[in-house]
Amino acid sequence: MFQYDFMQHAFIAGTFVAVMCGAFGVFVMARGLSFISHTFSHIGFSGASFAVFMGWDPLTGLLLFTTVSGLAVGQMGVKIFRRDAAVSVILSLFLGLGILFLFLSNKQTNFATTILFGSVVGISRQNVIEIVIISLILLIVLILSYRVLKFDSFDPAGAHAAGLPVRFISIGFLFVLSILVAEAVQIVGALLVFALLTVPASAARHLTHSVFGMILLSSLFSLIGVWAGLSLSYITNVPVSFYITIIEAIFYFLALIWQTVRLRWTKERTYRAKNI
Amino acid sequence: MLKTLDVDHINVIFNGERILKDISFSVHKGEMLGIIGPNGAGKSTLLKVILGLITPQEGKVVIKSTNKKPVMGYVPQSRLIDADMPIRAWDFVSLGLPNMIRPWLTGKDRKKVSKIMQETDTIHLAKKPIGKLSGGEKQRVYLAQALARDPDVLLLDESTSNLDPEAQESMTSLVHHLCESRHIGIIFISHDLHLVKKYAHRTLHMTRGHYIIGKTEEIMKDEKELSLCLHPPYSDESITSVDQQINQEIKDERIRTY
Ligand SMILES: Nc1ncnc2c1ncn2[C@@H]1O[C@H](COP(=O)(O)OP(=O)(O)O)[C@@H](O)[C@H]1O
Ligand SMILES: [Mg+2]
Repeated sequence: MFQYDFMQHAFIAGTFVAVMCGAFGVFVMARGLSFISHTFSHIGFSGASFAVFMGWDPLTGLLLFTTVSGLAVGQMGVKIFRRDAAVSVILSLFLGLGILFLFLSNKQTNFATTILFGSVVGISRQNVIEIVIISLILLIVLILSYRVLKFDSFDPAGAHAAGLPVRFISIGFLFVLSILVAEAVQIVGALLVFALLTVPASAARHLTHSVFGMILLSSLFSLIGVWAGLSLSYITNVPVSFYITIIEAIFYFLALIWQTVRLRWTKERTYRAKNI
Repeated sequence: MLKTLDVDHINVIFNGERILKDISFSVHKGEMLGIIGPNGAGKSTLLKVILGLITPQEGKVVIKSTNKKPVMGYVPQSRLIDADMPIRAWDFVSLGLPNMIRPWLTGKDRKKVSKIMQETDTIHLAKKPIGKLSGGEKQRVYLAQALARDPDVLLLDESTSNLDPEAQESMTSLVHHLCESRHIGIIFISHDLHLVKKYAHRTLHMTRGHYIIGKTEEIMKDEKELSLCLHPPYSDESITSVDQQINQEIKDERIRTY
């Protein structure tokens, strides 16, 4: 399958997107932002449709819409946004707008499926270069802000007490997250970006309590899911995102089972130790 | 004795209401200052001013430090920790280490975290997730995190209020021990007069807009009156009048009143 350029493109881009989503997912989970990332991807869908309507590159529209909304949410404060009603209103509003733009652009009927469900064939050389550059920038930002971000994500009260600029960190993280979502939408599709941002990290948290360990495991799960998803999608022609969600879900349930078994085992051991 | 903290004529007004009125005091190295007072007296606000989290309308806070930059350790009153928070206690303590620009921890950093966890009797909890610890264990871990930056001054806001009496006593005696071994200034807010009496060298008694500070024995002289003032058995309307009455008496006879 690697004899085709488009599969090479999909694998290179997919590798970068998977690792970044897996790593950032640990912070998305710790900060309780999974539904905000879900909303970002829908806003991204409408941004991509808008770009097609205007005759731009979809990534431009994606980035424009998601980063503006990322900064807007940061300004308003994440708390307001956590209310169910606000999220559903904004989600549906942007889905509706996306549909309108698609209808108005009146071309590329398969574009809707590509941007909603993700695509293997749609990734050009140009896309790959964009994705690699964006990923590297995000990775550098993550490395430089790692300790600060870790503090603020896992112990917000402590970070505030230690005098960290918590508001800036919060807005900055949403901004970076919105860029990541825009990038990931192109591969896994708008509907399931949040699966890649939350499920691998949730599986990892059941297996280790070290933050760095969680990041490694989460990236690994995400990477395996994307690689396997791309291959299976190539073979069967079913959209990538379907396979990715199935594989990540399997990781999640295996992690849950592993944790339950391990807990029971340690309990039994302490019980026996007490009764000797 | 060497001064480590100077609080100079602090005034804080929230929404037109004067919460802190012209407060001045200082804390010395190796000294524990207890703060007592009813809810809403502005105790937490005072700590936040010292930390720089709230900018006072008037007044200033000066910290004298042997470091280049003065460092403060703070254990806040409330801390939202998800019971499912997967981070282990060791990592939680290491969050507090300084030099946050370097993305990784050095061997020295690791040793320091382990040493502090021994000092605070939390090393046996190192691998447990923070969300699964008991209240008393959590407080010790928070304390360890605050110590990770080698503070000149340590501020504790009701950090024992939700613990059982035994855990309260052991936590406060640990803090007392740290105060002596590290020779740092410590301010702790508490509702437990017994603990304050036992461990605080000096006590700051706050009520809305008024305060007195002095040797703990002197502040505690009229314990009956004090506990009435801290936990008034009256309805909301009468609290203010009782406060005013007590404050008037305080004004008449105590060390320093504003
Ligand atoms: N950020 C704030 N904005 C407005 N009012 C505040 C703020 N923080 C505290 N207050 C008010 O200041 C008063 C003192 O609060 P606080 O310092 O928390 O009291 P204490 O810790 O002694 O119980 C309370 O009446 C509280 O409502
Ligand atoms: Mg308080």
